Amino acid sequence: MFKGFYTVATGMVSQQRKTEIITNNMANANTPGFKSDQSTIRSFPDMLISAVGKTNIPTENNLSISQNDQIGSVNTGVYLQETLANYTQGSIYETNQNTDVALIDGTMPVDEESGQAGAIFFRLQHADGGEAYTRNGNFTLDGEGYLVNAQGLYVLSAEGERIQLQNDQFQLTQDGNILVNNQVAASLGVSFSANPNTLVKQDNGLYRTVDGANLPTAFGQDGVTFSMQQSYLEGSNVDSAQSMTDLLTAYRAFEANQKVLQAYDKSMEKAVNEIGRV
Amino acid sequence: MLRTMITATNTLGQLQSQIDTISSNIANSNTAGYKAKEATFSELLYQQYNNDKLDSTVRNSPVGVRYGVGAYLGQIQTNYAQGSLQATNRDLDLAFTKESQYFNILMPDGVNGQRTVYSRQGDFYVSPTENGQVMLVNGDGYAVADSDGNAINFPDNVSSFSLSEDGTLAVNYPDGDSLNFELGITELQKTQVMEQVSGTYLGLPSNMNELGYNEADILVDLQGAARTDVGLTSGSLENSNVDLSTEMSSLINAQRNYQFSSRAISIADQMLGLINGIR
Repeated sequence: MFKGFYTVATGMVSQQRKTEIITNNMANANTPGFKSDQSTIRSFPDMLISAVGKTNIPTENNLSISQNDQIGSVNTGVYLQETLANYTQGSIYETNQNTDVALIDGTMPVDEESGQAGAIFFRLQHADGGEAYTRNGNFTLDGEGYLVNAQGLYVLSAEGERIQLQNDQFQLTQDGNILVNNQVAASLGVSFSANPNTLVKQDNGLYRTVDGANLPTAFGQDGVTFSMQQSYLEGSNVDSAQSMTDLLTAYRAFEANQKVLQAYDKSMEKAVNEIGRV
Repeated sequence: MLRTMITATNTLGQLQSQIDTISSNIANSNTAGYKAKEATFSELLYQQYNNDKLDSTVRNSPVGVRYGVGAYLGQIQTNYAQGSLQATNRDLDLAFTKESQYFNILMPDGVNGQRTVYSRQGDFYVSPTENGQVMLVNGDGYAVADSDGNAINFPDNVSSFSLSEDGTLAVNYPDGDSLNFELGITELQKTQVMEQVSGTYLGLPSNMNELGYNEADILVDLQGAARTDVGLTSGSLENSNVDLSTEMSSLINAQRNYQFSSRAISIADQMLGLINGIR
């Protein structure tokens, strides 16, 4: 059997997965706080091929010694191993809503093990209990005056409590204090993740920790600086030109794999129909 | 089936809704009292595939590959900012000069019922009722309520109307008499909770009790001493607060995104073609 036959098939599957992820990025090119996903394609572990044979030694009892010659390694294909979000800052744009907040990164410490810069998030109370984190600052007030996100999850303050306001006539200072009549009513909670790749991405721009533990606050963290801007939102950090290029590249790689598959098919056709014809 | 196609079609439908919102804003850019709507996207469901549970290679993220399936309109918020005032020099054209204050309008509801709705559209007229009486109505012919929630009726043959700063409308007669009516004015505290009834009318949400919200939390009727907070002027109308240039750039942006998603569909189609063309 042709070994490469399945190798090109895995190539097609992984390129297809890649286009799926790029399409989702492009679909979210307008979603506030969206962080584009980057896919990692990795080759399957190499296989070592060896030839198993026998050497006959011409003796009386016809002694034979089994022999194992290593030929070399062979690769059996690729797969899409993981998707990693790109946590760089999206562009900031103005809205006319007092309840919109953009989180602006200052400096972030770089995690020594992974080389990944830290990231900061708004704190939300998740419906399942525990906290969820988001970069989407498109908040609103519910009927009881609690500050909630678009899906109605409560926004938490720096003390981890819900934020209740009379109306949307408040000012937000750059360090996250909510001022009502020049009095500090609450301060928006911001959490810090030293290695945001360990977070699980969910719908509606939510990020959660795997073990359900809460992230530490970003206020007073060593080397973390940030600011907030009221009536602004952080746009998606999807680069549409880059995404389009990636999409076309993935498409052509898919096509190339398909061509190789066709070539294998032709070889097989010859093997079946032409070899041995008298 | 290629998920690319599903992701793109999910998003196309939502982008269409965003374009609908933008075109409604543009269409109403000259409607007095209209407030622009802003549609914002959220991410749709993420699905996790554990295609590599036995994979022992080093990875940076938690186990599994997570796929998103597109974007949807997370919320459509109304921009309640003050619109610019346009002078009309007509006595019964009233405009608010403060945000979140609203006229109380008695809108017919059902056969004989009526419902109080809130509007900033202040082009008022008088409409004859019976016995030489007239009623203060808005452009749609709905009665304008006074601070007690009743329609405002007064005898015809009016010489002029005048408005005082606290929102009291004085109806003056040629013989020097005048009648005073306190216009019903409400300050909306949680404007985003309000339900858009039609046109520029806002009403309390019909499922307010289910949601457990209190009317008193959502709105405050300006009465008594609170009347000094009223910011009302006559002889002008509040224009819509739609910013055409912003709307146009959002429209272009939405349209390009629409193109992107359609392009993804055609690429997915070509990929399916390639699969079909293997043999």
